Amino acid sequence: MKKQKVELLESVFYPLPALLFVGVMIYIPFVLSGYYSFTEWNGIARAPKFIGLANFKAIFTGGADFLRTLLFTFKYTVLFMLFTNIAALALAIALVKKFRLANTLRGLFFIPYIMSMTIVGFIWRFIFSSGFDTLLANTNLGIFRWSWLGTPNLAFVSVTIVGVWQSLGFYIVLYIAGLEAIPQDIIEASVVDGASGFLRLRSVILPLLAPSISTCMFMSLTNSLKVFDIILALTRGGPAGSTYSVTLGIYRDAFQNNRYGLGSAESLVFFIIVLILTQVVMRVFKSEN
Amino acid sequence: MTLKQKQKASTAVLAAVVTVIAIMYIYPVFLMLINSLKPFGEVVSSAISLPKVWAPENYAFVITKMSYIKLFFNTVFITVVGIVGIVFFSSLAAYVLQRRKNKFTAFAYLFIIIPMLIPFQTIMITLLKTMTTLGLAGNKLGLGIQYWGFGIPMAAFIYFNFMSTIPRELDESSYMDGAGTFRTYASIIFPLLQSVTATVIVLDVMWIWNDFLLPLLMVNRSNETKTLVLAAYTFVGQFNTQWHYAMTAMVLTVLPSIIFFIAFQRNIIAGVVAGAVKG
Repeated sequence: MKKQKVELLESVFYPLPALLFVGVMIYIPFVLSGYYSFTEWNGIARAPKFIGLANFKAIFTGGADFLRTLLFTFKYTVLFMLFTNIAALALAIALVKKFRLANTLRGLFFIPYIMSMTIVGFIWRFIFSSGFDTLLANTNLGIFRWSWLGTPNLAFVSVTIVGVWQSLGFYIVLYIAGLEAIPQDIIEASVVDGASGFLRLRSVILPLLAPSISTCMFMSLTNSLKVFDIILALTRGGPAGSTYSVTLGIYRDAFQNNRYGLGSAESLVFFIIVLILTQVVMRVFKSEN
Repeated sequence: MTLKQKQKASTAVLAAVVTVIAIMYIYPVFLMLINSLKPFGEVVSSAISLPKVWAPENYAFVITKMSYIKLFFNTVFITVVGIVGIVFFSSLAAYVLQRRKNKFTAFAYLFIIIPMLIPFQTIMITLLKTMTTLGLAGNKLGLGIQYWGFGIPMAAFIYFNFMSTIPRELDESSYMDGAGTFRTYASIIFPLLQSVTATVIVLDVMWIWNDFLLPLLMVNRSNETKTLVLAAYTFVGQFNTQWHYAMTAMVLTVLPSIIFFIAFQRNIIAGVVAGAVKG
């Protein structure tokens, strides 16, 4: 009896620090966000003013910029998922082949992923301006004259390119791990059976790679929905606010426009959207496996 | 040609193509490096070529101007505080929660891992307020401690899954020998968790070292408390017309990560894969 009591006490005591820190850093702010989302508060006034559902109304009727940032984030997410997964898979298939430089090249592709995303944004801001100016002078090609950060459509393309460039190495590594886990004799058997490269890819390799594909899809989804640093360093949301992602928009509304209540409401709506999307994507891939 | 020769030839072609792609892919990083070594005029006039006049003095200027050494140790301090707490509290919690099954531990486990579903941006506004109230905003130690809260959910999840592969006989025989729970954790269990601890350290070093948003919210007020990445952001903002200094600051900021990667490439890639698959 005494031993049981001690064990129960211990099972409460040892996880307590973990519970405490998670509680203070995540649960308390989360609950407070819920409260502030029903208020108007500029961060200076002593007490937030209760305004009911007005913030949510502003979000869904377009009174706030939220829907525009949401559309941007969706477009970015779709393209990011598509390009990263296709490019990473193609490069991974090439890099699992045995040749002398294979390991070095794997390392090279991984380097942008270990760099800070703000620095990545700055490097590309330099390339899209000064770098392209020099290239234009040398080659006179039209694409270097385009204003890659100055027009809304091209700025969207630039942000997507840089986002994919930064994290491609991560997905290559995951696909390589998946490919290396496929038993070699299955692939050899399909070669002997005369399956050509493309047929082998479609009917042998891809089905066996399904777990890696769902992991990569899931990771690329959650990462692209939260895109923030790269855009801040590359375009600061411009030109004319056309490259604001949801997270950057929340940051602007709360910390630059001092509308903490609206920002809190937006952050909760964002949370619900992320939750639904990730659950849906997980279900889809689970049923396919 | 035999099948083998054919395969060899196609691998050689593929290798050549991938090598060219890799060189183009990494070229922006190389561009940053060569421009950090040019005098101002050359960065503007010929951004893509090698320096004609080398300007290593850019580094001397930037290292003093942005107080690089202090920033470096600030970031090391914050990262170490963060990692030590995450590893210790998560592994301890995971050990007890996985071994003692009762209503409380079942609840506690869910309570700890559910926050993995909450994007950081959802709570950042009220986090700042909470941390200011608790005195954890505006100082390095406070920032390091905050990483405990954000790092524990995933680390505890990874440790918990791994715990179930460690035979119970090991800790039970330790209890038989008269060791208590903490003693058993410290001398039997924790050493066995080594491979997972390596994964957690790799993932969290990369995360904390390069994190931008949390330091921006918490320690941006004073130059005394800034992290390297945060200071680089301000510095490049101030010197955005003087790209030679901006590039130097950027190189100095990513250099520690690149050295860390080259030194531990194998462990880092293994850790990243393990983290993605288990998390």
